[in-house]
Amino acid sequence: MTIDIQRVRNIGISAHIDSGKTTLTERILFYTQKIHTIHDVRGKDGVGATMDHMELERERGITITSASTYVEWNGHHVNIIDTPGHVDFTIEVERALRVLDGAILVLCAVAGVQSQSITVDRQMKRYKVPRIAFVNKCDRSGADPKRVSAALRDKLGLNSVLMQLPIGLEEKFEGVIDLVEMKAIYFHGDNGEELEVTEIPAEMLAEAEDARAELIDAASMFSDDLMEAALEDQATPELINQAVRNGVLALELTPVLMGSAYKNKGVQPLMDAVIALLPCPSDIPIEAVDLDDDNAPVELVSDTTRQTVAYVFKLDEGRYGQLTFIRVYQGTLNKGDTVFQTRTGKKIKIGRLVRMHADKMEDIVTGEAGDIVGLFGIDCHTGDTFVGDGPRLAMTSMYVPEPVISLAVTPVDSKAQTNMGKALSRFTKEDPTFRVGLDQESGETIVSGMGELHLEVYIERMRREYNAEVETGAPQVAYREALSRRAEFDYIHKKQTGGSGQYAKVVGYLEPCEEGDYEFVNDVRGGRIPTEFIGACDKGFKSALPKGGLIGFPIVGVRAVLEDGNSHAVDSSDMAFQTASLAAFREAYKRAKPRILEPVMRVSVEGPAEFQGAIYRSLMQRRGVIAGSADDGGFTRVDGDVPLAEMFGYSTDLRSATQGNAEFTMEFSRYAPVPRDVSDELLKEYGSNKGQEDES
Amino acid sequence: MTNLMFGLRRSPRTLLERDGHPGPGPGKLALVFGRAGVGKTAFIVGIGIDALLSGQKVLHVSLDRTVDKVRTWYDDLLMEMLRREKKLEHWAAIQLEVERHRHIHTYASSAFSIDRLRQALDLFRSAMDFTPDVVILDRLDSEELEPATIEALRAIAGEIGAELWMAFRTHRDDPKPEGGHLPGAARAFEDMVDLAFSLDPHGNRIRLHVIKDQDEVVDKDLNILLNPKTLLLKSGVKR
Repeated sequence: MTIDIQRVRNIGISAHIDSGKTTLTERILFYTQKIHTIHDVRGKDGVGATMDHMELERERGITITSASTYVEWNGHHVNIIDTPGHVDFTIEVERALRVLDGAILVLCAVAGVQSQSITVDRQMKRYKVPRIAFVNKCDRSGADPKRVSAALRDKLGLNSVLMQLPIGLEEKFEGVIDLVEMKAIYFHGDNGEELEVTEIPAEMLAEAEDARAELIDAASMFSDDLMEAALEDQATPELINQAVRNGVLALELTPVLMGSAYKNKGVQPLMDAVIALLPCPSDIPIEAVDLDDDNAPVELVSDTTRQTVAYVFKLDEGRYGQLTFIRVYQGTLNKGDTVFQTRTGKKIKIGRLVRMHADKMEDIVTGEAGDIVGLFGIDCHTGDTFVGDGPRLAMTSMYVPEPVISLAVTPVDSKAQTNMGKALSRFTKEDPTFRVGLDQESGETIVSGMGELHLEVYIERMRREYNAEVETGAPQVAYREALSRRAEFDYIHKKQTGGSGQYAKVVGYLEPCEEGDYEFVNDVRGGRIPTEFIGACDKGFKSALPKGGLIGFPIVGVRAVLEDGNSHAVDSSDMAFQTASLAAFREAYKRAKPRILEPVMRVSVEGPAEFQGAIYRSLMQRRGVIAGSADDGGFTRVDGDVPLAEMFGYSTDLRSATQGNAEFTMEFSRYAPVPRDVSDELLKEYGSNKGQEDES
Repeated sequence: MTNLMFGLRRSPRTLLERDGHPGPGPGKLALVFGRAGVGKTAFIVGIGIDALLSGQKVLHVSLDRTVDKVRTWYDDLLMEMLRREKKLEHWAAIQLEVERHRHIHTYASSAFSIDRLRQALDLFRSAMDFTPDVVILDRLDSEELEPATIEALRAIAGEIGAELWMAFRTHRDDPKPEGGHLPGAARAFEDMVDLAFSLDPHGNRIRLHVIKDQDEVVDKDLNILLNPKTLLLKSGVKR
């Protein structure tokens, strides 16, 4: 079966928690006839919505893992990625965004643009994802979709434009007016599956005409044809849709639709808008890099006859083994094909190929360019690229932030130990921001991630899914060390007392380096250090990095320049140069005025204006630097940068300072030097730990 | 750090140092006129950065941009200045210093009023110990602006001892201002303006005119051309 690429949509649904995203997804699945009864996230029937397929998610009423699902709508083929709503899982969101061509930004008609919507929108901007907005929960008391559309302008800087008007609001919400077709749409039947398309109620006609004029005004910026037609009052629905689509694709226009997923209203027109306004895979330029040609960019074409290029964006360990979600960007992937895994160069045979519908699946034989499919029995990591015969291409690597927080985990017994191993190995494959390491000194297993909740969820999953009972230590901030000035070294390593001796001399300097964590420069002239030992010097310097001399955290941002040295015809060896370089580094490091860096989070707090002062103070007390504030009349939002070390327990404090009226999100921003007093305290703490270890 | 930051200054604001203070002075109002797209925002952000680099506190009030966008304007311009001086390694330290001394406050379209601004300033002082030396207002619509609003803004600036900078858009089909007057709707409140500039395209550069200086309406071509991208001077000032 060959699919017309113009008829494919790969979309995501992103939103603030509790905006009703999962309910919306559930309704879409229902109307596209993939499921036969509707369950709600916090449903009374105890079944839970189809997309939330993990027990934990069911219990907490939130969506953690993004599952991909495939539906058909009006002869189009739509892949939907359900994305998680909590900011600690942003890697999930970002992985999903990477493979999307467009997205629906779901907003609550009452709460409007919430802090999470701001973070999600920022991520969408980063990945240049065209989006349409859906204002959900129009049946709730206080619903006002027009205010939400205005907030999209004010708070997110989006050029929003209404595509619909609500007919009635709150408990009187009945349907929507389609401003493109100039029709009223009502939703009947037990589940809103029967659409009644009729004339606009007379009392709303004037308002609808005004709103339509605004829509045409905004859209005609993106189409000369529409502009000309509008001048002669001849704007057709096709011209309007085409113009809006142009604006959406250029990321310069955000059409706003509305409804109530829970009350089964407005979902079908939203799906029509997905087809009409969001891009198909060939509308979006996609680049890969050629690893054999110095990472030269290669433009991919959604063409089934070209070399196959596919990208792994999600792994899921299910009942039937590891399920790998991939997006095919170019060529086709057929059952029985052999492809290459670019990272390892290994050959991989494609066994079972499936299309996923949350926990259910259908077997297929081909995945074509533009498609999202699942594979079974493939050993790989997220972020891997599979290619067919031809150049060694890789999809440009995704931005993966370094973990900022870690926790010691200790299994309670040997059974838990075994199970914990299994769990950790799976989690690390699935989630590149979740890391596992071993503390060399204590022998404890250390897990690291992007925030407290991120780690909590994995600990919880270990218990539930793997029956691994673990005890956890106090969360530990991932500090870094860096030098603040250049320091020279001139070091001789010499042991020539009988037997085979060791001799190596290295001369050069260390200096701060802005780009990257470590850079080695070989400036040795005239073979003063024989070429075969240069690699050993690099290795020696590198071995100093994992543990800095101040508080034992990794050293970042250093350039080691080797300028001169000396060797001995017999006594020099790889080992001697490694030892010399390590010692030279450690010695120079002390003189390079090293300092401690800490992760700083970008925090956004939002609440009613009367709590503005309390919000400011809550951030100032935590060594926060407040960047800005936004006042939209009743609500206020404060943005600031706060060290992660100060953020523990913030949600409790904020709740009590604002009587539960404010909420916040945070994401990693950067590493920054700690102030002197904090640095002194950390040095003291590290010193005393050291003392204890020495005694024991 | 202070010397380094001072040495980066490239804003036309540095030309105003003759009276012993770096800008028009506390309680004074400075306006920038220019057509759409000429670079008023870049100019006025440049004014903010200049004040920050000379150690002053800046409140940037925006009525049509988000906090993120204004922040990005500052970051981009500052980075460009450091890149030119080949001092990018100081970026993190200077950015932190700038953020400590700057506050961005935005209003959704209809939320701005003189009272709300006054409340916000009170709050910044009490909750953050922040009282600005320079207030930038970008931007009010000059067509709808009442002289009373300007008077109130100028009074607020006087109370907190800050200088106030605002940008105004002029239109291509605006009548040419009569001699001795400020352009467009600004004529109605020109008595309250202490300093006014206009930015005019001149080939591939922007020419800076002084159109009002203290009590005098002048039209003095300073013969200064600004970089059209950054709206900065070509070379810096000596301390």
